Amino acid sequence: MLELVVNGGRYEVEAPIGQTLAETLRGPLGLTGTKIACGEGHCGACTVQLDGVPVLSCITLVHTVGEREVTTIEGLRDHPLVDAFVRADALQCGFCTPGQIVSAAALVEADPEPTPERIRHAMAGNLCRCGTYPRIEEALLTWRD
Amino acid sequence: MARLIRTEKEVEGRYTEQWVVVEEDAAIDQWPAGPRETVGRPVPRVDGYERARGQALFTADVALPGMLHAAVLRSPYARARVRRLDLSRAREADWVLGAIGPDDCDALTLEPGFHGEPVAAVAVDSPGRAREALELIDVDWEELEPLLDPEEAVRRNELHEEPRRYERGDADAAFADADVVVEAEYRTQTVLHNPLETHQSVCRWEGDTLEVYISTQFIWGVRDDIAESLDLPPDRIRVICNFMGGGFGAKNGAHAQTFIAIALASQTGRPVRCALSRREENLATGNRNSTIQRLRAGARSDGTLVALEGEFVNAVGWKGWSGPTYGPMEMLYACENVRTLTYGAKLNLPPNAAFRAPGFVEGTFGLECLLDELAGRLELDPLELRARNHADRDLADDRPYSSKNLLECYRRAEPHWARRDAVRARSEGPWRRGVGLASQIWYGGGGPPSYAWVRIGSDGRATVITAMQDIGTGTRTAMAQIAAEELGLPLDRVRVSLGDSSRGPYASISAGSSTTPSMGPAVRAAAADAARQVIEIAAQRYHLEERLLTMQGGKVVSSDGGSWPLEEVTGLLEDAQILGKGARGPNPTGMRVLTFGIQVADVAVDVETGEVRVERIAAIHDVGRVINPLGAQSQVEGGIIQGVGHTLSEERLVDPASGIVLTQSLDAYKLPTIADVPEIVVELLDIPDEHLTNLGSKGLGEPPIVPTAAAIVNAIRDATGADVRSLPVSRDEMLRALREARERERAAAPA
Amino acid sequence: MQLLRPESVEAAAAALGNGSVALAGGTDLVPMLRDRLVSAETLVELKEVVPRGVEGTRIGAGTTLAELEVDPEIPAALREACALAASPQLRSMGTIGGNLLQATRCWYWRLDFPCFLHGGSRCHAREGAHREHAIFGNERCASAHPSDPAAALLALGARVRTSRRELGLEELYRLPTEDDRNVTALEPGELILELDVPRPEASVYLKAMDRARWAFPLVGVAAARFADGVRLALAGVAPIPWRLDSETDLDRATPLPGTAYKVELARPLIRRALHSVT
Ligand SMILES: Cc1cc2nc3c(=O)[nH]c(=O)nc-3n(C[C@H](O)[C@H](O)[C@H](O)COP(=O)(O)OP(=O)(O)OC[C@H]3O[C@@H](n4cnc5c(N)ncnc54)[C@H](O)[C@@H]3O)c2cc1C
Ligand code: SF4
Ligand code: FES
Ligand code: FES
Repeated sequence: MLELVVNGGRYEVEAPIGQTLAETLRGPLGLTGTKIACGEGHCGACTVQLDGVPVLSCITLVHTVGEREVTTIEGLRDHPLVDAFVRADALQCGFCTPGQIVSAAALVEADPEPTPERIRHAMAGNLCRCGTYPRIEEALLTWRD
Repeated sequence: MARLIRTEKEVEGRYTEQWVVVEEDAAIDQWPAGPRETVGRPVPRVDGYERARGQALFTADVALPGMLHAAVLRSPYARARVRRLDLSRAREADWVLGAIGPDDCDALTLEPGFHGEPVAAVAVDSPGRAREALELIDVDWEELEPLLDPEEAVRRNELHEEPRRYERGDADAAFADADVVVEAEYRTQTVLHNPLETHQSVCRWEGDTLEVYISTQFIWGVRDDIAESLDLPPDRIRVICNFMGGGFGAKNGAHAQTFIAIALASQTGRPVRCALSRREENLATGNRNSTIQRLRAGARSDGTLVALEGEFVNAVGWKGWSGPTYGPMEMLYACENVRTLTYGAKLNLPPNAAFRAPGFVEGTFGLECLLDELAGRLELDPLELRARNHADRDLADDRPYSSKNLLECYRRAEPHWARRDAVRARSEGPWRRGVGLASQIWYGGGGPPSYAWVRIGSDGRATVITAMQDIGTGTRTAMAQIAAEELGLPLDRVRVSLGDSSRGPYASISAGSSTTPSMGPAVRAAAADAARQVIEIAAQRYHLEERLLTMQGGKVVSSDGGSWPLEEVTGLLEDAQILGKGARGPNPTGMRVLTFGIQVADVAVDVETGEVRVERIAAIHDVGRVINPLGAQSQVEGGIIQGVGHTLSEERLVDPASGIVLTQSLDAYKLPTIADVPEIVVELLDIPDEHLTNLGSKGLGEPPIVPTAAAIVNAIRDATGADVRSLPVSRDEMLRALREARERERAAAPA
Repeated sequence: MQLLRPESVEAAAAALGNGSVALAGGTDLVPMLRDRLVSAETLVELKEVVPRGVEGTRIGAGTTLAELEVDPEIPAALREACALAASPQLRSMGTIGGNLLQATRCWYWRLDFPCFLHGGSRCHAREGAHREHAIFGNERCASAHPSDPAAALLALGARVRTSRRELGLEELYRLPTEDDRNVTALEPGELILELDVPRPEASVYLKAMDRARWAFPLVGVAAARFADGVRLALAGVAPIPWRLDSETDLDRATPLPGTAYKVELARPLIRRALHSVT
């Protein structure tokens, strides 16, 4: 049995060694907001926060999470960024979007008024094939409006 | 009364004639141009929160009770024969619940023709053990020599179809008479769609009905593919796609994964998910194939194009189709003498698939770069050269256009183009700056058949029902806007129910920029039908003449002053509802329905390191009426960003000896990141096409990607004098072109 | 598979070898385990035993690239190399120790072709697709070393303290030979614990890549000026981080047909790097 703290709740899950955090979130915990688009650390769709730091859950072994608190998109549903993304139309198909918002939430936590340069540096690990990048930038520039 | 008509249908440049039934709709006039209450105004997506919060259920998130997971054994060779395939060890293992080979499923083969072609498949109950199960399949491979070189395929006549020949006028005579002739060879690379949700299906038998959850651009195409190949009555197949994570042309049919899932579901009696990994996605689900284009243009010294000639080799792959790389050359300019020859080479490479304006992206790159080389030789302004050769009528089909505002696009491009002296003047040190432009032509008229229903309940709310799909392009939102506009309802009182073939009428494919122009008019017609019924009811209830009544602001309003909330009128029905039906009418006969535009790119090139930065792209497109300017802007930006990737960083590489795909993962295959994106300025003309449907809207998904590569490469030439003739413009290609330009300059310099 | 969390270096070292591997951030290792490029029955988590953080000139091997990227105390070349490496999430996860030991990104190797570096007889990249490959030291294996920080640390003259010894960074790397296909001199069970990074008078890292962010270096150039002169080191040009004395050393490059452009690309980067530190 493994204990995980996810979005403020404590969960016990059964997981073989080698299982990733993404598999655990999407499987036993039913938190399917976290997407897997490559499963190998190359796209950012699976981004979650560990103690506020954005990491790739698809290559994080669940047994290495320890006491660190996991925050997924489900824990950020009421974050003002959600509203900012929708207003700015920073999503098309929406498959990359939960990961984008998780990364963006960590960015604005560290810097509530990020410059375009900072946004481009901090968000470069979240690929969007639909090409919502300019809208994401706008969402991050206007999220407190 | 239902009306049967024979009409022309176009998808991505391919025309077919077909019968369609259109409901008799009392010809609805187009709305006047310009923004209305809802249509034409920027609206955030109606399903934005579901998507942003991770609550939208994609096919990737469908988990049915008892569901098994399929894994596919794929050919490790580009060409091979399976001498022996033995599934017995897999079938004997109690934890492997299904195992199939070519005898069980037509999507599997013993003679794979490309790396990644499916050969066999298994089903297990834990996705973690899928690969282990594949190891229980015994295969005796005979590796065969692959054919990988498209020119060699042409020489050996290994083609998908007879070479396509086209000629109008007399190109030879015109070239002989031309004052100036330019020629060049251009090459484009193979690029991969990479929707973030990979191809996937979950299939389950429910009694005698097959349920298919699938990430698709065409629910009805999936149904037809399955019905046809499994010989099932179509109505016993239910196809569901509520949210999908991108397609870009690669998800137009059922695809192998669906047939594999069905065969395993049939064998095991359990629901089966077949989901491709990213690497499988980049092997087997299609691509924009590479091309070789040998082009020639002849002009008079005043810039009049007198002759165009192109030989195009499409490196199609093992399956697929030879795309219209020739299209822009035949269609873009008013040139009387045009000759093209196109080969679709059959190679031991993964099959191509439609990818956002297939053929035209590639062909526009070649043609529009050649035009700038011609402008250089003629010492003419490139924008002026294009305007001078504007086609007032379609010469390829000898038809008038339903509408064309390309000259207006050119005019709107002038201020962007006029910035070029200022941009060039900002060159400093090794960074040279320049501006380039390119024109765009593409289809996008959509067509019938497409149907929609609009249901109004006693609560005065409306639901649009149609079995279409929203692939991320925002069509759910556009349909809600159209219905709200027609019903005079605020947008939040209209919902759209889509994504299920058993819960709505037939709807268009979401490809070929056709969803909005196909579905929009049907939705409007359905809403108008519902509105008519509301008014009939209100007229009877309040003893008024129907012609005095309209629906506005959530009310039924009489021109002599009275007004009644909609829910008061429909409330009379209690639980019953009003149902309006609508159909897409035919396209205007004898006319060419096309989209047009121009893009102007600013670039900066570091002439020492070959680094290219696209700094700004202005995109001006003529796509008819714009339903949602916000969503439209996103579509244009998305197309341009894919175009930037196509131009600068994306390339599928294969091992030249074995044909094995090397760039399967996204560390090696380089999609643009947020840091690669230029400033994008979007201007849509928003002039309704008066001949096209009750909306005058054309599609907009594809036009924006068409001219991007050529505009960027022309800007690079403007900045540096270097002729890039091959995509992508990686460091190697840019440094080569710069070296060549320096050598040319040196040779030309007086000794 | 099992996961051990030793609490001392000795315990970790004892647990290593024989079907077990060290796990730091896992960014390289976890995908390789999935792809079976590495097989392991036991993972030994290093979190508790490898130092993390910066103290004076010493950097714990468990420090993440994200931490280094913003640390004003460390030389600019290393900071910039970290900032331009990988993606934000990968930098938050990946440690500097793991970065120095990351495996090649050669696509043939990653797809498990039986090539020289995998113990086979030939290099598939030489005759194959190799635009990202090496221009130096590429006779047997033409792979290009992917680490940006390694080039920076090499230019900075960093020293490495392991669980067994102390060595210069150049001694950590070696070209693969017929007899030994490893590109590092680390012994089985040996752990990198700390780096000692001399303070230069000035330093810089310049990187050419296929997109603006999140790509391995086509060519990365690090330069560091010390009282006794400038040290140059390159990423992406040889199977290991590569030192050059000056731009003219590029004349001795042995590029493959598809990597000749890297020589051309390295020249201005070297010039600019030198210009920037002098
Ligand atoms: C998509 C992608 C892009 C990347 N781009 C870049 C880039 O542009 N530039 C760049 O420089 N890097 C890049 N990287 C590499 C990345 O920085 C490394 O993967 C990361 O730093 C490795 O650290 P880790 O802690 O995750 O190591 P792990 O994956 O945990 O380990 C890597 C290896 O080192 C061993 N190891 C780890 N720590 C120690 C130690 N202290 N002692 C002994 N052995 C140890 C492990 O056993 C394993 O063999 C990229 C990686 C990925 C996945
Ligand atoms: S470059 Fe090295 S790793 Fe790549 S194929 Fe050649 S030997 Fe193998
Ligand atoms: S799914 Fe984790 S990085 Fe792509
Ligand atoms: S919105 Fe589709 S991938 Fe980002």
